[in-house]
Amino acid sequence: MAERFEIGFHPFVIPFLAGMVFVLGVCFIKAVIVVSQLDEGDRKKWFRSLIHPNILIKNLVDIILDCLIHVRLWKRNKVLGFMHSSIAFGWFMIILLGHLQVLIYFPEKLSTCYYPIFFDYFIEGGQYTVISKIMDGFLLLILAGIALAVVKRFWSRLFGMRRTTRPTLYNLIGLYSLWAIFPLRFLAEQCVRSGDLSVPLWWAYSIALCTFMTVLPFGRYLHIPAEMLLITFRNAGVGITQPHKGMARVQADSCPNCGVCIDACPMNADPANLKDSTVYLTRQLRRRNQERIREISDKCLLCGKCTSVCQVGVDGPKLRILSRAAKKYRISPDFSNAGAGITVPSAENKVLYFSGCMTSLTPKIGRSVESVLKKAGIDYEWMDRDGGLCCGRPLYTAGRLKEAAELAARNEKQILESGVRVLLVSCPICYREFRERYNLPGIRVVHYADYFCELMEQGLLRFEKSDTCYVFHDPCELGRGCGIYESPRRLISKAAAIAEAPKNRKESVCCGGSLGSLSLDFSRREKITAASLENLYRSRADAIATACPLCFATFARYSDRPVKDLAQIIDEQTKQI
Amino acid sequence: MKGNIVIIGGGIAGMEAAKSLISLGYSPIVVESSTKLGGHVASWYKLFPDMSSAKNLVSRLESEIKGATVLCGTKVISLNRLADGYSLKLSNGSVVNASALLIATGFTLFDAKKKEEYGYGVYDRVITNSDLEAWFSEKKDARVPDEPESVGFVHCVGSRDLKACNAQCSKVCCATAIKQAIEIKERFPYAKVYCFYMDLRLFGKKYEDFYINAQRDYGVQFIRGRVSEVGETLDGRLQIKAEDTLSGKPLKVQLDLLVLMSGIVRNQSIGELSAMAGLETDSDGFLRSIDNEYAVIESNRPGIFYAGACTGPKTVPETVAEARSAALAIHSYLETL
Repeated sequence: MAERFEIGFHPFVIPFLAGMVFVLGVCFIKAVIVVSQLDEGDRKKWFRSLIHPNILIKNLVDIILDCLIHVRLWKRNKVLGFMHSSIAFGWFMIILLGHLQVLIYFPEKLSTCYYPIFFDYFIEGGQYTVISKIMDGFLLLILAGIALAVVKRFWSRLFGMRRTTRPTLYNLIGLYSLWAIFPLRFLAEQCVRSGDLSVPLWWAYSIALCTFMTVLPFGRYLHIPAEMLLITFRNAGVGITQPHKGMARVQADSCPNCGVCIDACPMNADPANLKDSTVYLTRQLRRRNQERIREISDKCLLCGKCTSVCQVGVDGPKLRILSRAAKKYRISPDFSNAGAGITVPSAENKVLYFSGCMTSLTPKIGRSVESVLKKAGIDYEWMDRDGGLCCGRPLYTAGRLKEAAELAARNEKQILESGVRVLLVSCPICYREFRERYNLPGIRVVHYADYFCELMEQGLLRFEKSDTCYVFHDPCELGRGCGIYESPRRLISKAAAIAEAPKNRKESVCCGGSLGSLSLDFSRREKITAASLENLYRSRADAIATACPLCFATFARYSDRPVKDLAQIIDEQTKQI
Repeated sequence: MKGNIVIIGGGIAGMEAAKSLISLGYSPIVVESSTKLGGHVASWYKLFPDMSSAKNLVSRLESEIKGATVLCGTKVISLNRLADGYSLKLSNGSVVNASALLIATGFTLFDAKKKEEYGYGVYDRVITNSDLEAWFSEKKDARVPDEPESVGFVHCVGSRDLKACNAQCSKVCCATAIKQAIEIKERFPYAKVYCFYMDLRLFGKKYEDFYINAQRDYGVQFIRGRVSEVGETLDGRLQIKAEDTLSGKPLKVQLDLLVLMSGIVRNQSIGELSAMAGLETDSDGFLRSIDNEYAVIESNRPGIFYAGACTGPKTVPETVAEARSAALAIHSYLETL
C-alpha cells in the first residue's frame, strides 16, 4: 500500500473542504447564539454538565442511541428505524473507520481532512485493508437505507405513514444530494479498483458532499447537529423559557420534519387542521413567520401526543404555550379580591378534596368521590364545595403565566393554612397544575385514581363486579401529562370487565373538548370527538369510562353508549363495609 | 285504495288534520305509537297565552275524530313505495295501503340530564318544564317542596346551545316559562320567582302582555344571563351561580326549586321512518320541507305531507293551522290522482 501521488492533492477536494468549513462554521455560530440566549442559570447548569462525568456519559449514550441508532424510531416503526439507522450509523462508521485507517497507515496525512474521505483515490491498494472491507459493508448498508428512503419518498404509505410533510426546496436539494453521495462514492471506488481513476466521479462525489453540507443549516438536516446539542441541554436540565430563543430554538432546529406527529395529531380528524401539527410549528419557528406561529400555537389542543411520539422529543405544547405568552393583552384581570369570601376548612390529619371548576359542572363526579370516601371511612374535607378558586391551568395554557401564578399562590396559601397532609384531586387538569407548578412542601397531591387504588389494596373498598364492559379513555392530562395509566385500569377490572381501544395509553386520542385550544370553536371540534369516540368504539365495549370531567362532558354529548366517570363506576360497584 | 290516508302521529297536529279530512269526506287512519292520543299537549296543564286547559283541547279533538280509525300503541315497521301510493306494515301485524301520508310525529323534549351542570337527575330539587306541568295537574312530585321560598326558571336548556348539539330556538319556552312562573306565583304568592334568560323571544299575539303581567302583577324577576352551574348546599337547597349580564355582575342565588325549560329537539324516533320513506332531514335534524317560506308542509316525496313540529319547533296555533292546510293539500293532491 502506497500513496499514488506524491503531491497528495487534487482540485476535486476543494468543494468538500469548502462545504465542511462552511457547515462547521455556521453550526458553531448557531450554537454560540443559542447558548448565549439561555437564561443565566441554565447556561451555568449546561457548562457544569459538560464536565460532570455522569452527565457526560449519559450524553454520549443518548447521542449514540438517539442520533445514530434511532432506538425510539425502531420501537415505533422497524422499517423506518432501519432506514434511518443504516444511513446515520453507517455514515458515522464510515467516517470513523476512514479516519482510523488514515491514522494507522498515514498518520501524517490526518491533518489534510480529505484523506479519509477520498482514501481509495490517493492510496494505491487502499482497498485491501480489513478496515476497508468493513467500510464496504457499511457502505452497502447505507445504500440499502437509501433505497428504502427512495421508496418512502414516493410511497410513504408502505411505511405506515398516512401523511408526511411536503418538503421545501432546501429540503429537496438536501435530500437528493444526500441520496447522491453514497452511490457516487460507491461508483468512484469501484472505478479506482478496476484501474480507471475516474476523476469525474470523484468530482461529483465531492460536489454532492459540498451541496449537502451547504444546505444543511437551512433545512431539515440541521436536526443532525441540533439534536446533539438538544440532548446535552436536556440532560443538563435546561428548560424552555423563551418562546423562540434558547432551548425553544434548539428544539425547533432538532425537528427532523419526519411528520410522525401529523398522523398522531388528533386535530387532523378534520383536514382543515393538517397544517397545524408540531412539525409545521417548528418549520415556522425556523422561518420566524410570526403570524403562522401564532395561528398554529393558538389552535392546538395541547394534548401532548406529538411529544409522546416525537423521535427527538420536541415539546410541542410547551413551545406553543410560550408563543401564546408572547401575546400582549391590554386588560389584565384583577385577582386582588379573588377568593375573598372563600374559607377553607381546617383539615389537619384529614384528606382535603379539591374538586375544581370542571367538576362543579359535572356534579356527579364530585358526589361519587365523596361517597367513595365515606364508604372507605376516610376523614375528609371538601375544599371547594361551595365554590373555590380556579387552579390556574386554563390561564397557564392560554399563556397568561403571571395570572396563573397569582391564582396558584392564593390556592397554595389556603391549602398550606389548612394544615392538610394529603390533597385529593378529581380533575386531571388541576392535578397536573398542582404537580408541576405548585409549591406545596410536605403535602402529597394525589389523583383519586391512584388514591382509590390504594384504598382498594388496603381492603377499604368492597367491590361487586358488574357485567358491563368498559373501555377506559386515557385523559391527556392524566396519562401523557402525569403518567397515570395503570391505576384506573386496575380499579375498573375490579369493578367490571375492561376492554382496550386500539389507540390507548400514550397514544390515546384527545376527546376534543380540551381547554388547550384558544381558537377551535365548538363546531370545529365535533370531528375530533367523533374520531376519538370511533377509536373507543372499536374496543366493542358497552360503555366508556374516563377520569376527567372534561372528557366526560365531551363524550356524553356525542356518544351513542353510556359514558361514566371512573369515580361513578367505583361508587356504583362498591358496598359500605 | 284511492282516498286512503294514513296519519303518522296522534298529537294535536295529527288529530286536527284527521278532523279536517273527515269533514272533507275522507276516513283517515291515525297511527300513534304511544297508548293515548294528544302527544305533548295532553300532558300539559294550561296553554299560553289564554290559560285555557290543554286537556279540554285534546278531549274535544278526540271526540271530533270519531270518523277516523285510530290505532294507538302502534308503530310503522316498514314502508314501501307503490306505483300510486305507499304500503305500510304496522306493528299490530296489519298492512295498510295509502294514497297519501301525513307525517305529524312532533318533537322530543331535550333530555335535561345532558346538561349535567344544571343538576337534573343529580339534585333533588331540579325538575323540567314537563315535570312541572305534570305536578300542576297531579300535584304529585316529591321534588317540589310544599312551601318554596324561591323558585328559578332556566330558559334555553338545550336550545340555542351548540354544546348541547342544538342550535335552534325552541320558540315556545320563553312564553312557557312566563306562564309557569305565573302559575307558580298563583300557588305560592310569597315565593320569589326568578327567570334566567339569554333573550326573551315573545313574538306571538298577547305574549308581550303576558310578559308585562308577569313582572307588574306577579313580581317575577327576569335576570338576563345564563346559569353557569348549580350546586347543593348542606341543608339541601340549591345554589345557583349566574351572571347578570345587564349589570355585568356575577350572582349567587339560593333556591328551593329549579325548573329547566327543556327545549324542543327533533323526534328521536323519526330517523328510521325518514330513512324508510326517503325523506330528507335538515341540518337541525328535523324533517326538511320543500322550502321554509311557502311549502313548509310539503316533503320531497309525492304524497307525503308534514304537519306540526316534525319540521321544527312550533306553537299550538301554528301546529293547528299547519294541520288544516296539510289536510287541504292532501285533498287537492288526491283530486289530481
